[in-house]
Amino acid sequence: MSEKSYGLIAMFDTPADIMQAAEAVRDAGYKSWDVITPFPIHGMDRAMGVRRSLVPRISLAGGIIGFVTGMGLIWWSGAWNFKLVVGGKPLFSPLFAFPISYELTILFTAFATILGMFLLNRLPMHYHAVMKQAHFQRAMDDRFFVVIEARDPRYDRAATEALLARLGGREIEELED
Amino acid sequence: MTSRLSIPGSAAAAGSPAPNAGVALGVGLAGTALTAAGFFVSDPRRVALSWLVAVGYWTMIVVAMLMLVLIHHIFDASWGVIIRRQYEHWLAALKWLFLLFLPLLAISAYLRPGLIWLWMNPGSLLPGTHETVGEDILYFKKAGYLNVGFFTLRLVLFFGIWIWLAYVVRRNSFRQDADGDLKWTRSNRCWAAAGLPLSGFAITFASIDWFKSLDYHWFSTIYGVYFFATGMRGALAIGVLLMLWLHRRGDYRGILNRNHLHSIGQLMLTFTVFWAYIAFSQYFLIWNANVPEETFYFNLREYGDWYWVGMSLLFLYFAFPFCYLLSYRHKVEPHWARFIAWWILVMLFVDICFNTLPAARDAAGHPHPFFSLLMGWHFTALAGVGGICVWAYLRSFSTTKLLPIRDPRIAECLSYQEASAE
Repeated sequence: MSEKSYGLIAMFDTPADIMQAAEAVRDAGYKSWDVITPFPIHGMDRAMGVRRSLVPRISLAGGIIGFVTGMGLIWWSGAWNFKLVVGGKPLFSPLFAFPISYELTILFTAFATILGMFLLNRLPMHYHAVMKQAHFQRAMDDRFFVVIEARDPRYDRAATEALLARLGGREIEELED
Repeated sequence: MTSRLSIPGSAAAAGSPAPNAGVALGVGLAGTALTAAGFFVSDPRRVALSWLVAVGYWTMIVVAMLMLVLIHHIFDASWGVIIRRQYEHWLAALKWLFLLFLPLLAISAYLRPGLIWLWMNPGSLLPGTHETVGEDILYFKKAGYLNVGFFTLRLVLFFGIWIWLAYVVRRNSFRQDADGDLKWTRSNRCWAAAGLPLSGFAITFASIDWFKSLDYHWFSTIYGVYFFATGMRGALAIGVLLMLWLHRRGDYRGILNRNHLHSIGQLMLTFTVFWAYIAFSQYFLIWNANVPEETFYFNLREYGDWYWVGMSLLFLYFAFPFCYLLSYRHKVEPHWARFIAWWILVMLFVDICFNTLPAARDAAGHPHPFFSLLMGWHFTALAGVGGICVWAYLRSFSTTKLLPIRDPRIAECLSYQEASAE
């Protein structure tokens, strides 16, 4: 094999097995690894030691930009670029700028949320090394996988494989990148 | 999930003792007696309005709790099972609230006609004018709706609807504790479908009758929803406080988890935004149309210190809780969540004052200031009505189990997880 190694993959049979495996891998100190399951397993985030997502921060930034854009748009167009009195109201008031700002807040928050999710997940991704595993289709059906990446500082071909085998992982394979 | 969940001992025990019920009753009776005394020694109109504000405050909160229970049933929700029983206990306060409302009607309709609601007496002088209600064309046009007989009938109808629905959801839930029969859940769901529109109409017309008709010249079609929104914020805040209280006392240990607090916290955020939406819509439409028939309502509320009360609603009842509740930690960490729940309950009181009190005006037609020594009667009234509500809650609390342990959703509720864990 001339190509560089992506990491090791192991297959598990039940949600309970994969939970225990995830906790053990977490406790062993690995950082660059993942669990692949056919359905969401409650409590998996904690078992993996995953921190809360950064997406809400990105959403907040989007919301603030949206609000400021709305206020800015109304002020710039009505009170700066083309001054026009409408209905005896002041040239600018946050009151009539509010519905637009409110809508733009929601719109930009939604954009930022979707965009943030795609960026943080590095989507769209058309190829991934795990797809080469022989039984990988079963991750969509009734099998559960742990992948430990070679770039993890704790990764050691023999020791990591031994850990996965001790946890009860089957069909352990090294994946090429 | 097939495995049977074991319910911790404290929840299965037949009712936890609630030692402070007597204290609550004492506070309630003392507050009521003090306010009643105040009616005779102080300005009777303003003391009566304090009582109206207090009864309104607690009624809106307890009715919102009723609606939360009904909403819970109609959506077949699971996480809410954890707090539903506590709301059901609070619903025991409704019949007492009805009783506590009656003095207002007796005073304004019979003992001192027109004292609270001017339109109840044709001889009442309209504030800032030399005209009486009896000479007012606007009153004639509305007299078919605004008269003592119909007002009384509606009052009985509102409380009749709420008390009946409260009776049904409580009975069904308590009986299920004993026999575990699913028919009680189904019955609750049917009653929720019928009860939600009914209680929605009742809360709308109740706020029109009790609060908007204080100034019967004014009109706003969004008024009822406003009180629903503000009551809902109070109901959720009390829900959070009850969860944390029962957790600290030990009853909820091993039962309550962060996801429950997160869910109710998200609803607090939702209703903060919803309240602001309603309040802004009402203000914005009136500001934009700029018609004197409507704008005088807000002109009164910009007079004197009421301007600052209005601003405090904008910044301290919306902007601050909104920013605060955006954070996950503020929703799930007990001391942060407790702080904002108390904050909302305080500002809710200011909100009810803002909506009602400027209707009472001096001879020159100006509203009385918000800050004055007479404010003391707000607190006696609030403690009086609140004490009796809390007493009704605690009295009911000790009669049943802590949780509806045979609810079909209880296992799902106790193992409640969200997609994103902490």
